[in-house]
Amino acid sequence: MHHCYIDRHSGIDSFIHRLDPRIKLLSLITFLLFVMFTAPDSYIAYFLYGALIIALIALSQLPVTFVLKRASVIILFVAFIAVFIPFTKKGEVCAASYAGALQPTVCYGGWHMFFAILLRACLSVLCTVVFMSSTTFSDFLKALERLKFPSLVIMILSFMYRYIFVIQDELMQMWRAKESRSVGGAKKLHVRALANMIGVLFIRSYEKAESVYISMCSRGFAGGIQTMNHLKLKTADVFFFLIIVAALSGIRVLKG
Amino acid sequence: MHIPDGFLAAPTWTSTWLFSIAGISVCLKKVTMVLEDRIIPLMGVMAAFIFAAQMLNFPVAGGTSGHLLGGALAAVLLGPYAGAVVIAIVLIVQCLVFQDGGLTALGANIFNISFIGAGGGYIIYRCIARIKNDRRGVIIGAAVAAWLSVVIASFACAVELALSGTSPFRIVVPAMLGVHILIGIGEAVITTGVVSFVLKVRPDLIYCPKKEECQ
Repeated sequence: MHHCYIDRHSGIDSFIHRLDPRIKLLSLITFLLFVMFTAPDSYIAYFLYGALIIALIALSQLPVTFVLKRASVIILFVAFIAVFIPFTKKGEVCAASYAGALQPTVCYGGWHMFFAILLRACLSVLCTVVFMSSTTFSDFLKALERLKFPSLVIMILSFMYRYIFVIQDELMQMWRAKESRSVGGAKKLHVRALANMIGVLFIRSYEKAESVYISMCSRGFAGGIQTMNHLKLKTADVFFFLIIVAALSGIRVLKG
Repeated sequence: MHIPDGFLAAPTWTSTWLFSIAGISVCLKKVTMVLEDRIIPLMGVMAAFIFAAQMLNFPVAGGTSGHLLGGALAAVLLGPYAGAVVIAIVLIVQCLVFQDGGLTALGANIFNISFIGAGGGYIIYRCIARIKNDRRGVIIGAAVAAWLSVVIASFACAVELALSGTSPFRIVVPAMLGVHILIGIGEAVITTGVVSFVLKVRPDLIYCPKKEECQ
Protein backbone atom coordinates (compact mmCIF):
# COMPACT_ATOMS: atom_id res chain seq x y z
CA MET A 1 0.00 0.00 0.00
CA HIS A 2 1.18 3.46 -0.78
CA HIS A 3 1.46 5.61 2.28
CA CYS A 4 2.39 9.18 2.89
CA TYR A 5 5.32 8.60 5.15
CA ILE A 6 5.38 10.93 8.07
CA ASP A 7 8.71 10.01 9.60
CA ARG A 8 10.35 9.03 6.37
CA HIS A 9 13.74 10.66 6.85
CA SER A 10 13.75 11.25 10.55
CA GLY A 11 15.84 8.17 11.25
CA ILE A 12 19.02 9.49 9.65
CA ASP A 13 21.88 9.89 12.07
CA SER A 14 23.13 13.43 11.59
CA PHE A 15 23.97 16.42 13.75
CA ILE A 16 20.60 18.06 13.10
CA HIS A 17 18.73 14.82 13.76
CA ARG A 18 20.47 14.40 17.09
CA LEU A 19 19.57 17.87 18.30
CA ASP A 20 16.99 18.22 21.02
CA PRO A 21 13.55 18.64 19.40
CA ARG A 22 12.82 21.62 21.65
CA ILE A 23 15.90 23.37 20.29
CA LYS A 24 14.84 22.56 16.76
CA LEU A 25 11.38 23.96 17.32
CA LEU A 26 12.71 27.13 18.93
CA SER A 27 15.32 27.58 16.20
CA LEU A 28 12.64 27.16 13.56
CA ILE A 29 10.41 29.79 15.14
CA THR A 30 13.33 32.19 15.61
CA PHE A 31 14.44 31.74 12.02
CA LEU A 32 10.93 32.30 10.66
CA LEU A 33 10.49 35.46 12.71
CA PHE A 34 13.81 36.85 11.50
CA VAL A 35 12.95 36.11 7.87
CA MET A 36 9.45 37.55 8.18
CA PHE A 37 10.68 40.83 9.63
CA THR A 38 13.44 41.49 7.12
CA ALA A 39 12.96 44.50 4.84
CA PRO A 40 11.83 43.56 1.30
CA ASP A 41 14.83 45.07 -0.48
CA SER A 42 17.69 43.73 1.66
CA TYR A 43 18.70 41.01 -0.75
CA ILE A 44 22.06 40.41 0.93
CA ALA A 45 20.26 39.44 4.13
CA TYR A 46 18.08 36.98 2.23
CA PHE A 47 21.15 35.59 0.53
CA LEU A 48 22.87 35.04 3.87
CA TYR A 49 19.78 33.41 5.35
CA GLY A 50 19.76 31.15 2.31
CA ALA A 51 23.39 30.24 2.87
CA LEU A 52 22.58 29.38 6.48
CA ILE A 53 19.71 27.16 5.38
CA ILE A 54 21.85 25.38 2.80
CA ALA A 55 24.43 24.72 5.49
CA LEU A 56 21.71 23.29 7.72
CA ILE A 57 20.39 21.07 4.91
CA ALA A 58 23.91 19.81 4.29
CA LEU A 59 24.38 19.15 8.01
CA SER A 60 21.08 17.29 8.24
CA GLN A 61 21.99 14.84 5.42
CA LEU A 62 18.39 14.89 4.22
CA PRO A 63 18.17 13.90 0.55
CA VAL A 64 18.14 17.10 -1.50
CA THR A 65 15.42 15.80 -3.83
CA PHE A 66 13.21 15.14 -0.82
CA VAL A 67 13.75 18.64 0.54
CA LEU A 68 13.01 20.24 -2.82
CA LYS A 69 9.95 18.07 -3.34
CA ARG A 70 8.55 19.06 0.04
CA ALA A 71 9.37 22.70 -0.60
CA SER A 72 7.60 22.62 -3.95
CA VAL A 73 4.17 22.88 -2.28
CA ILE A 74 4.50 26.66 -2.46
CA ILE A 75 4.72 26.63 -6.27
CA LEU A 76 0.96 26.64 -6.73
CA PHE A 77 0.54 29.70 -4.58
CA VAL A 78 3.44 31.48 -6.20
CA ALA A 79 2.06 30.75 -9.65
CA PHE A 80 -1.43 31.89 -8.71
CA ILE A 81 -0.85 34.92 -6.56
CA ALA A 82 2.73 36.11 -6.63
CA VAL A 83 3.12 36.46 -10.39
CA PHE A 84 0.71 39.37 -10.40
CA ILE A 85 2.62 41.36 -7.81
CA PRO A 86 5.11 43.11 -10.14
CA PHE A 87 2.27 44.45 -12.25
CA THR A 88 0.10 45.76 -9.49
CA LYS A 89 2.39 47.92 -7.39
CA LYS A 90 2.46 51.62 -8.08
CA GLY A 91 5.70 53.56 -8.09
CA GLU A 92 8.70 54.33 -10.22
CA VAL A 93 8.16 52.50 -13.51
CA CYS A 94 11.00 50.27 -14.64
CA ALA A 95 9.39 48.69 -17.68
CA ALA A 96 6.21 49.27 -19.59
CA SER A 97 4.73 47.50 -22.53
CA TYR A 98 1.83 48.27 -24.77
CA ALA A 99 -0.22 45.14 -25.03
CA GLY A 100 -3.56 46.45 -26.16
CA ALA A 101 -5.71 48.14 -23.55
CA LEU A 102 -4.05 46.52 -20.55
CA GLN A 103 -0.66 48.21 -20.78
CA PRO A 104 1.05 46.25 -18.04
CA THR A 105 3.70 48.29 -16.30
CA VAL A 106 6.29 46.94 -13.92
CA CYS A 107 7.58 49.07 -11.08
CA TYR A 108 10.67 48.69 -8.93
CA GLY A 109 8.53 48.48 -5.81
CA GLY A 110 6.62 45.61 -7.34
CA TRP A 111 9.79 43.70 -8.16
CA HIS A 112 11.13 44.14 -4.65
CA MET A 113 7.85 42.94 -3.21
CA PHE A 114 7.72 39.98 -5.59
CA PHE A 115 11.24 38.81 -4.80
CA ALA A 116 10.81 39.43 -1.09
CA ILE A 117 7.68 37.27 -0.95
CA LEU A 118 9.25 34.59 -3.10
CA LEU A 119 12.43 34.52 -1.01
CA ARG A 120 10.58 34.58 2.29
CA ALA A 121 8.31 31.75 1.17
CA CYS A 122 11.25 29.64 -0.07
CA LEU A 123 13.43 30.24 2.97
CA SER A 124 10.67 29.50 5.46
CA VAL A 125 9.53 26.34 3.72
CA LEU A 126 13.11 25.04 3.46
CA CYS A 127 13.74 25.81 7.09
CA THR A 128 10.54 24.06 8.14
CA VAL A 129 11.48 21.00 6.08
CA VAL A 130 14.94 20.78 7.64
CA PHE A 131 13.84 21.06 11.23
CA MET A 132 10.57 19.14 11.02
CA SER A 133 11.68 16.28 8.75
CA SER A 134 14.65 15.60 11.00
CA THR A 135 12.38 15.09 14.03
CA THR A 136 10.12 12.12 14.58
CA PHE A 137 6.54 13.12 15.21
CA SER A 138 6.52 11.62 18.69
CA ASP A 139 9.68 13.53 19.63
CA PHE A 140 8.09 16.67 18.31
CA LEU A 141 5.01 16.11 20.46
CA LYS A 142 7.23 15.50 23.45
CA ALA A 143 8.99 18.78 22.77
CA LEU A 144 5.63 20.55 22.68
CA GLU A 145 4.75 18.89 25.97
CA ARG A 146 7.97 20.07 27.61
CA LEU A 147 7.40 23.57 26.23
CA LYS A 148 4.08 23.63 28.11
CA PHE A 149 1.87 23.43 25.04
CA PRO A 150 -1.78 22.63 26.02
CA SER A 151 -1.87 18.91 26.76
CA LEU A 152 -5.32 18.38 25.26
CA VAL A 153 -4.10 19.42 21.81
CA ILE A 154 -0.99 17.27 22.19
CA MET A 155 -3.06 14.22 23.11
CA ILE A 156 -5.37 14.78 20.15
CA LEU A 157 -2.37 15.16 17.85
CA SER A 158 -0.81 11.97 19.21
CA PHE A 159 -4.04 10.07 18.55
CA MET A 160 -4.22 11.44 15.07
CA TYR A 161 -0.65 10.33 14.45
CA ARG A 162 -1.46 6.83 15.69
CA TYR A 163 -4.58 6.40 13.59
CA ILE A 164 -3.57 8.10 10.35
CA PHE A 165 -1.98 4.91 9.11
CA VAL A 166 -4.75 2.62 10.31
CA ILE A 167 -7.47 4.65 8.65
CA GLN A 168 -5.49 5.27 5.52
CA ASP A 169 -4.94 1.54 5.25
CA GLU A 170 -8.65 0.86 5.48
CA LEU A 171 -9.33 3.45 2.82
CA MET A 172 -6.67 1.98 0.54
CA GLN A 173 -8.17 -1.48 0.93
CA MET A 174 -11.59 -0.18 -0.03
CA TRP A 175 -10.10 1.74 -2.91
CA ARG A 176 -8.30 -1.30 -4.19
CA ALA A 177 -11.44 -3.41 -3.91
CA LYS A 178 -13.38 -0.81 -5.86
CA GLU A 179 -10.70 -0.48 -8.52
CA SER A 180 -10.45 -4.22 -9.02
CA ARG A 181 -14.21 -4.61 -9.39
CA SER A 182 -15.07 -1.66 -11.58
CA VAL A 183 -13.71 -0.93 -14.99
CA GLY A 184 -15.03 2.01 -16.95
CA GLY A 185 -18.65 2.88 -16.29
CA ALA A 186 -20.26 6.24 -15.82
CA LYS A 187 -18.35 8.86 -13.89
CA LYS A 188 -21.40 9.44 -11.74
CA LEU A 189 -21.23 5.91 -10.37
CA HIS A 190 -17.57 6.32 -9.51
CA VAL A 191 -18.27 9.49 -7.60
CA ARG A 192 -21.10 7.79 -5.74
CA ALA A 193 -18.87 4.83 -4.87
CA LEU A 194 -16.26 7.26 -3.61
CA ALA A 195 -18.78 9.11 -1.46
CA ASN A 196 -20.07 5.84 -0.01
CA MET A 197 -16.51 4.79 0.68
CA ILE A 198 -15.85 7.96 2.65
CA GLY A 199 -19.16 7.41 4.43
CA VAL A 200 -18.16 3.88 5.44
CA LEU A 201 -14.81 5.19 6.53
CA PHE A 202 -16.48 7.82 8.71
CA ILE A 203 -18.68 5.25 10.44
CA ARG A 204 -15.77 2.88 10.99
CA SER A 205 -13.56 5.67 12.31
CA TYR A 206 -16.27 6.85 14.67
CA GLU A 207 -16.83 3.35 16.01
CA LYS A 208 -13.10 2.86 16.30
CA ALA A 209 -12.79 6.04 18.34
CA GLU A 210 -15.53 4.86 20.69
CA SER A 211 -13.96 1.46 21.22
CA VAL A 212 -10.56 3.08 21.70
CA TYR A 213 -12.06 5.26 24.39
CA ILE A 214 -13.67 2.28 26.12
CA SER A 215 -10.42 0.35 26.11
CA MET A 216 -8.59 3.44 27.39
CA CYS A 217 -11.04 3.65 30.27
CA SER A 218 -10.75 -0.04 31.07
CA ARG A 219 -6.99 0.44 31.32
CA GLY A 220 -7.36 3.23 33.82
CA PHE A 221 -7.23 6.38 31.71
CA ALA A 222 -7.53 9.36 34.03
CA GLY A 223 -7.39 12.30 31.68
CA GLY A 224 -3.71 12.32 30.92
CA ILE A 225 -1.07 10.29 29.18
CA GLN A 226 2.21 9.77 30.96
CA THR A 227 5.15 9.37 28.65
CA MET A 228 8.75 8.68 29.44
CA ASN A 229 10.88 11.74 29.26
CA HIS A 230 14.14 11.04 27.53
CA LEU A 231 14.74 14.59 26.34
CA LYS A 232 17.85 16.03 27.85
CA LEU A 233 19.37 19.35 26.92
CA LYS A 234 23.02 18.85 26.00
CA THR A 235 25.63 21.59 25.73
CA ALA A 236 25.76 21.03 21.96
CA ASP A 237 22.05 21.85 21.77
CA VAL A 238 22.42 25.10 23.66
CA PHE A 239 25.45 26.05 21.57
CA PHE A 240 23.56 25.30 18.37
CA PHE A 241 20.70 27.55 19.42
CA LEU A 242 23.08 30.32 20.45
CA ILE A 243 24.95 30.06 17.15
CA ILE A 244 21.71 30.22 15.16
CA VAL A 245 20.51 33.24 17.10
CA ALA A 246 23.91 34.91 16.81
CA ALA A 247 24.09 34.25 13.07
CA LEU A 248 20.58 35.56 12.50
CA SER A 249 21.09 38.68 14.56
CA GLY A 250 24.47 39.17 12.88
CA ILE A 251 22.80 39.14 9.48
CA ARG A 252 20.11 41.43 10.78
CA VAL A 253 22.51 43.99 12.22
CA LEU A 254 24.76 43.82 9.19
CA LYS A 255 22.06 44.21 6.59
CA GLY A 256 18.83 45.09 8.42
CA MET B 1 -5.75 27.59 -0.25
CA HIS B 2 -3.06 26.89 2.32
CA ILE B 3 -1.18 30.19 2.46
CA PRO B 4 2.62 29.72 2.66
CA ASP B 5 4.87 31.89 4.81
CA GLY B 6 5.79 35.28 3.44
CA PHE B 7 2.54 36.06 1.67
CA LEU B 8 0.91 37.78 4.63
CA ALA B 9 2.01 41.01 6.28
CA ALA B 10 2.93 40.91 9.96
CA PRO B 11 -0.26 42.58 11.28
CA THR B 12 -2.41 40.12 9.34
CA TRP B 13 -0.70 36.92 10.44
CA THR B 14 -0.24 37.96 14.05
CA SER B 15 -3.88 38.98 14.44
CA THR B 16 -5.20 35.83 12.76
CA TRP B 17 -2.88 33.75 14.97
CA LEU B 18 -4.28 35.36 18.10
CA PHE B 19 -7.82 34.94 16.86
CA SER B 20 -7.23 31.29 16.01
CA ILE B 21 -5.71 30.48 19.39
CA ALA B 22 -8.69 32.09 21.12
CA GLY B 23 -11.12 30.36 18.78
CA ILE B 24 -9.61 26.91 19.21
CA SER B 25 -9.58 27.17 22.97
CA VAL B 26 -13.25 28.17 22.96
CA CYS B 27 -14.10 25.28 20.63
CA LEU B 28 -12.10 22.81 22.75
CA LYS B 29 -13.94 23.98 25.88
CA LYS B 30 -17.31 23.61 24.18
CA VAL B 31 -16.48 20.12 22.91
CA THR B 32 -15.04 19.01 26.25
CA MET B 33 -18.27 20.05 27.98
CA VAL B 34 -20.20 17.56 25.86
CA LEU B 35 -17.70 14.76 25.33
CA GLU B 36 -15.44 15.04 28.40
CA ASP B 37 -12.51 12.63 28.08
CA ARG B 38 -13.95 11.04 24.97
CA ILE B 39 -12.85 14.14 23.06
CA ILE B 40 -9.26 12.90 22.86
CA PRO B 41 -9.65 9.71 20.83
CA LEU B 42 -12.65 11.03 18.92
CA MET B 43 -11.01 14.24 17.70
CA GLY B 44 -7.77 12.41 16.95
CA VAL B 45 -9.36 9.62 14.95
CA MET B 46 -11.70 12.02 13.14
CA ALA B 47 -8.75 14.22 12.18
CA ALA B 48 -7.06 11.11 10.80
CA PHE B 49 -10.28 10.32 8.93
CA ILE B 50 -10.50 13.77 7.31
CA PHE B 51 -6.81 13.54 6.50
CA ALA B 52 -7.27 10.17 4.79
CA ALA B 53 -10.41 11.31 2.97
CA GLN B 54 -8.48 14.26 1.55
CA MET B 55 -6.13 11.83 -0.18
CA LEU B 56 -8.79 10.38 -2.46
CA ASN B 57 -8.80 12.05 -5.82
CA PHE B 58 -11.86 12.09 -7.99
CA PRO B 59 -12.04 13.10 -11.65
CA VAL B 60 -13.22 16.61 -12.46
CA ALA B 61 -13.95 17.90 -15.95
CA GLY B 62 -11.05 18.26 -18.33
CA GLY B 63 -8.73 15.58 -17.05
CA THR B 64 -8.00 17.34 -13.78
CA SER B 65 -8.80 15.83 -10.43
CA GLY B 66 -9.93 17.28 -7.18
CA HIS B 67 -10.13 16.05 -3.65
CA LEU B 68 -12.37 16.56 -0.67
CA LEU B 69 -11.46 19.38 1.71
CA GLY B 70 -13.86 18.19 4.37
CA GLY B 71 -14.61 21.40 6.26
CA ALA B 72 -18.36 21.32 5.76
CA LEU B 73 -18.43 17.53 6.03
CA ALA B 74 -16.76 17.61 9.44
CA ALA B 75 -19.08 20.38 10.61
CA VAL B 76 -22.24 18.58 9.46
CA LEU B 77 -21.20 15.22 10.91
CA LEU B 78 -19.58 16.39 14.14
CA GLY B 79 -21.08 19.79 14.82
CA PRO B 80 -19.53 23.24 14.52
CA TYR B 81 -17.11 23.15 17.46
CA ALA B 82 -15.83 19.62 17.02
CA GLY B 83 -15.68 20.12 13.26
CA ALA B 84 -13.59 23.26 13.64
CA VAL B 85 -11.23 21.49 16.07
CA VAL B 86 -10.78 18.53 13.74
CA ILE B 87 -10.03 20.72 10.74
CA ALA B 88 -7.62 22.84 12.79
CA ILE B 89 -5.76 19.68 13.89
CA VAL B 90 -5.52 18.52 10.28
CA LEU B 91 -4.16 21.93 9.27
CA ILE B 92 -1.56 21.84 12.05
CA VAL B 93 -0.29 18.45 10.89
CA GLN B 94 -0.32 19.47 7.24
CA CYS B 95 1.66 22.58 8.08
CA LEU B 96 4.25 20.93 10.31
CA VAL B 97 4.69 17.56 8.65
CA PHE B 98 4.00 18.27 5.00
CA GLN B 99 4.83 21.98 4.90
CA ASP B 100 1.46 22.58 3.27
CA GLY B 101 0.88 26.11 4.50
CA GLY B 102 3.39 28.13 6.45
CA LEU B 103 3.89 28.20 10.20
CA THR B 104 3.42 31.96 10.49
CA ALA B 105 0.43 31.71 8.15
CA LEU B 106 -1.02 28.78 10.13
CA GLY B 107 -3.20 31.13 12.15
CA ALA B 108 -4.68 32.59 8.99
CA ASN B 109 -5.17 29.14 7.48
CA ILE B 110 -6.97 27.90 10.59
CA PHE B 111 -9.04 31.07 10.61
CA ASN B 112 -10.07 30.67 6.95
CA ILE B 113 -10.57 26.96 6.60
CA SER B 114 -11.58 25.94 10.08
CA PHE B 115 -13.57 28.90 11.44
CA ILE B 116 -14.84 30.61 8.31
CA GLY B 117 -15.09 27.40 6.25
CA ALA B 118 -16.28 24.76 8.68
CA GLY B 119 -17.95 27.09 11.22
CA GLY B 120 -19.59 29.26 8.56
CA GLY B 121 -20.58 26.17 6.61
CA TYR B 122 -22.32 24.81 9.67
CA ILE B 123 -24.39 27.97 10.13
CA ILE B 124 -25.55 27.78 6.52
CA TYR B 125 -26.33 24.09 6.88
CA ARG B 126 -28.38 24.63 10.04
CA CYS B 127 -30.36 27.48 8.50
CA ILE B 128 -31.39 25.32 5.54
CA ALA B 129 -31.97 22.19 7.60
CA ARG B 130 -34.21 24.12 9.97
CA ILE B 131 -36.36 25.55 7.20
CA LYS B 132 -36.88 22.12 5.69
CA ASN B 133 -36.80 19.81 8.66
CA ASP B 134 -36.40 16.42 7.00
CA ARG B 135 -33.94 14.24 5.11
CA ARG B 136 -34.06 16.42 2.00
CA GLY B 137 -33.35 19.50 4.07
CA VAL B 138 -30.24 17.94 5.60
CA ILE B 139 -28.91 16.88 2.21
CA ILE B 140 -29.63 20.20 0.49
CA GLY B 141 -28.19 22.03 3.48
CA ALA B 142 -25.02 19.94 3.35
CA ALA B 143 -24.63 20.55 -0.38
CA VAL B 144 -25.06 24.31 -0.14
CA ALA B 145 -22.88 24.48 2.97
CA ALA B 146 -20.10 22.48 1.29
CA TRP B 147 -20.05 24.72 -1.76
CA LEU B 148 -20.30 27.94 0.21
CA SER B 149 -17.73 26.86 2.81
CA VAL B 150 -15.09 26.52 0.10
CA VAL B 151 -16.08 29.79 -1.54
CA ILE B 152 -16.20 31.90 1.64
CA ALA B 153 -12.96 30.38 2.91
CA SER B 154 -11.23 31.34 -0.33
CA PHE B 155 -12.79 34.79 -0.08
CA ALA B 156 -11.39 35.21 3.43
CA CYS B 157 -8.01 34.07 2.14
CA ALA B 158 -8.20 36.61 -0.70
CA VAL B 159 -9.15 39.40 1.69
CA GLU B 160 -6.17 38.58 3.91
CA LEU B 161 -3.84 38.65 0.93
CA ALA B 162 -5.31 41.96 -0.19
CA LEU B 163 -5.02 43.44 3.31
CA SER B 164 -1.39 42.37 3.41
CA GLY B 165 -0.76 44.35 0.25
CA THR B 166 0.36 41.20 -1.54
CA SER B 167 -2.15 41.57 -4.29
CA PRO B 168 -4.84 44.20 -4.90
CA PHE B 169 -8.44 43.42 -4.16
CA ARG B 170 -9.64 43.59 -7.74
CA ILE B 171 -7.23 40.86 -8.86
CA VAL B 172 -6.97 38.43 -5.97
CA VAL B 173 -10.66 38.23 -5.10
CA PRO B 174 -11.92 37.28 -8.59
CA ALA B 175 -8.97 34.92 -9.09
CA MET B 176 -9.51 33.04 -5.83
CA LEU B 177 -13.30 33.02 -6.11
CA GLY B 178 -13.22 31.92 -9.74
CA VAL B 179 -11.12 28.87 -8.96
CA HIS B 180 -12.93 27.93 -5.78
CA ILE B 181 -16.42 28.26 -7.22
CA LEU B 182 -15.42 25.30 -9.39
CA ILE B 183 -13.62 23.41 -6.63
CA GLY B 184 -16.67 23.91 -4.45
CA ILE B 185 -18.87 21.98 -6.88
CA GLY B 186 -16.80 18.82 -6.42
CA GLU B 187 -16.78 19.40 -2.67
CA ALA B 188 -20.58 19.73 -2.67
CA VAL B 189 -21.08 16.55 -4.71
CA ILE B 190 -18.87 14.42 -2.47
CA THR B 191 -20.15 15.93 0.78
CA THR B 192 -23.74 15.32 -0.29
CA GLY B 193 -22.92 11.73 -1.17
CA VAL B 194 -21.25 11.08 2.17
CA VAL B 195 -23.96 12.77 4.22
CA SER B 196 -26.78 10.94 2.44
CA PHE B 197 -24.94 7.64 2.94
CA VAL B 198 -24.44 8.22 6.67
CA LEU B 199 -28.04 9.41 6.92
CA LYS B 200 -29.15 6.11 5.42
CA VAL B 201 -26.88 3.81 7.42
CA ARG B 202 -26.18 5.46 10.78
CA PRO B 203 -28.34 8.59 11.09
CA ASP B 204 -27.62 8.64 14.83
CA LEU B 205 -24.02 9.63 14.18
CA ILE B 206 -24.92 12.92 12.51
CA TYR B 207 -24.57 15.79 14.95
CA CYS B 208 -27.76 17.38 16.08
CA PRO B 209 -27.83 20.28 18.51
CA LYS B 210 -31.17 19.41 20.14
CA LYS B 211 -32.16 15.79 20.29
CA GLU B 212 -35.92 16.34 19.90
CA GLU B 213 -35.42 18.20 16.63
CA CYS B 214 -33.92 15.20 14.89
CA GLN B 215 -36.64 12.62 15.46
